[in-house]
Amino acid sequence: MKLAYYSPMPPERSGIADYSALLVPALRRRVDVDVARRGKSARGDVALYHVGNDPDSHGWIVEALRREPGVVVLHDFVLHHLVAGTTLARKDGKGYLAAMERDAGLAGRLLGLGVIDGCIPPLWEVRPEDFPLCGEVLDLATGVVVHSAYVEERVRERGFERAVWKIPHPAWPAPAVTPERVAGSPVLGAFGNLNASKRVPQLLDAFARFRESHPDAQLLLVGAAAPGVDLSGRIAHGGLEGAVVHEDYVDERRLWALMAGVDVVVSLRSPTMGETSGTVVRAISLGKPLLVSDVGWFSELPADVALKVAPDVREVDRLADAMEALADPGVRDVMGARAADLAATEHGLEHVAELYAAALEEAAGGEAVRHAVLREVSAAAAEVGFEPASGEAGVLGRALDEVEI
Amino acid sequence: MCSPQVPFARGGAEILAERLTHELQAHGHEADLVTMPFKWYPGAKVLTHALLWRLADLTEVDGRPIDLVIGTKFPSYVVKHPNKVVWLVHQFRQAYELDGTDLGQFGDSAEDRATRRAVHRLDRVALGEARTLGAISQNVADRVKRNTGLDAEVILPPPQQLDFRCDSYDDFVLSVNRLDRAKRIDLLLEAAASDGSMRVVIAGDGPDRERLERLADKRGLDGRATFAGRVSEAELADLYARCRGVYYAPVDEDYGMVPYEAFMSEKPVVTTRDAGGPLDIVRDGQTGLVIEPRADELARACRFLLEHEAEARSWGKAGRAIAERVTWDHVVERLLG
Repeated sequence: MKLAYYSPMPPERSGIADYSALLVPALRRRVDVDVARRGKSARGDVALYHVGNDPDSHGWIVEALRREPGVVVLHDFVLHHLVAGTTLARKDGKGYLAAMERDAGLAGRLLGLGVIDGCIPPLWEVRPEDFPLCGEVLDLATGVVVHSAYVEERVRERGFERAVWKIPHPAWPAPAVTPERVAGSPVLGAFGNLNASKRVPQLLDAFARFRESHPDAQLLLVGAAAPGVDLSGRIAHGGLEGAVVHEDYVDERRLWALMAGVDVVVSLRSPTMGETSGTVVRAISLGKPLLVSDVGWFSELPADVALKVAPDVREVDRLADAMEALADPGVRDVMGARAADLAATEHGLEHVAELYAAALEEAAGGEAVRHAVLREVSAAAAEVGFEPASGEAGVLGRALDEVEI
Repeated sequence: MCSPQVPFARGGAEILAERLTHELQAHGHEADLVTMPFKWYPGAKVLTHALLWRLADLTEVDGRPIDLVIGTKFPSYVVKHPNKVVWLVHQFRQAYELDGTDLGQFGDSAEDRATRRAVHRLDRVALGEARTLGAISQNVADRVKRNTGLDAEVILPPPQQLDFRCDSYDDFVLSVNRLDRAKRIDLLLEAAASDGSMRVVIAGDGPDRERLERLADKRGLDGRATFAGRVSEAELADLYARCRGVYYAPVDEDYGMVPYEAFMSEKPVVTTRDAGGPLDIVRDGQTGLVIEPRADELARACRFLLEHEAEARSWGKAGRAIAERVTWDHVVERLLG
């Protein structure tokens, strides 16, 4: 089987480019893959489109999807930023309004007009989760690959009736790096851009509380602070000078080294756009215990790998409690071993590639198989006088459904 | 008891299903064997024939409930029942480890690939709903784990009931097999050709017989290779009773009854590292010899047995102790427990 593969690829810098760089070689061991160059077409029996929320990385992929429907890998459920970037940013106000109306009816169109006229702030910044704008992509998709039950549910809620395959994010093999350790014990690390959704204030408040009983604890923050996030002010406010180390952008190798040097990886998020976290996947590859927000994909991590805290009014207390639990080296060892096991099994690259191959082979030929089976069964039924709408035909249909034929 | 039937073909799986039915009756249960014809080609036929099993209503018959169904070989375990047990003989191997080999069935077309995947999904559903999932060998259990992620308990089937005994350790090596290429009888003939005094007796018949007889002629075995053909149970028991050892080395066999029969006759078994099921009980230097699948190694192994009767006796006795532990009482207890 030949696969037309649409995705950002290195040297483009994006999480999905990294994802495809990891996946494609394993996929090529199973199917013939033609990777489309940016803006160009690829050829295959079935096409696979990686769609994320970044218009620069994925705008051309959605255009290709419009030309030839195929299987969509929905890396983010919320695509508001993508749609805004491929409509409003290209002076296509009508396109944006159409997407808003598709999502939320007339009220959506009116809100869109408000955004265009500058009467209300951009919705992709303030309320993207309320208007995911994934309708067009789902309409064009012949099947959807998701990474979580959370996104699968959202997709089904929107009335998508075609095939959905839940395929875990593949784990990167942990590179042979020398761990780079910050002095202190225990050391907690948070990795990735420090923007409003990463719950930095709550993390710092909880860490300050935790540090009262663990004065040697250190918090390592790796990633650029987004505009509007006053990191140094926050650190000073919490009395955490000397207890928090901040590294701005680091290259991939150093990221692994720094992550390998921490005792716990913290990955907080709210709201969620239905995304997975490359940081979390790297962390389990390294066998690190996790502290995460109890939202979306993160909620589906096994309880013996990740402690989960809901982003509610008691978040800070519970984060501090979780840090307390993770201060026990025995607890960290058990959770870390389970994390490494999870990376090698459920998130194992070959396992994930096999799931992709199964999904794509079904997408390419499944309809023909279903027709062949139905032709034979219905011909036999008709020969002995069963009407299509009869009870007997219903029995046949249910039996086919039960065994997923 | 559910077992598919390929019209005009009969092999180990059919014998096993009949035997278990008989043993269930002997253990005081009312048991009957249900069969349906199975055809696996062309195209999606494998799926429609599997569907036949799904449509069979075995929850009750003539107003009397059926308490339990036991599925065995694909696709009989697709049957639906609230109390389903599977004693797995094998899955549809063409959709798994045989795919892409000479023994595979599915080509590169999109429909063939998708049919293969549909068999995978069907297996996950049908095997996943079993209350107990047993496998007839470690090899079959390993395969089902690899193919579906499901854990199966190894429940070994005992050998058929023959007049097992040990009369002597004569100077011939016995092969008991259906004669087809996968059984690798040619390896035994090549080994005999390379050892001027080695005698072999080949019991069984099959599509590869003519080729094997030609090979024996070509290698000038001059009566040192005897093709005994299909033999009676009494003749088979007699061959086991008199041979020095038994050669049994099919490619990746599901189970393999022959080693158990050899052991019941206190004879050691020569097998190969890639033989699958036989490796559950044939231990190198304890109950037989495990070698690479090469004629020179096989010749050396057979020569060793012919020159070391004491080891052959000792390994055969050790094998018997193992085979005697495999009983129908245990099988019935595990499947019904």
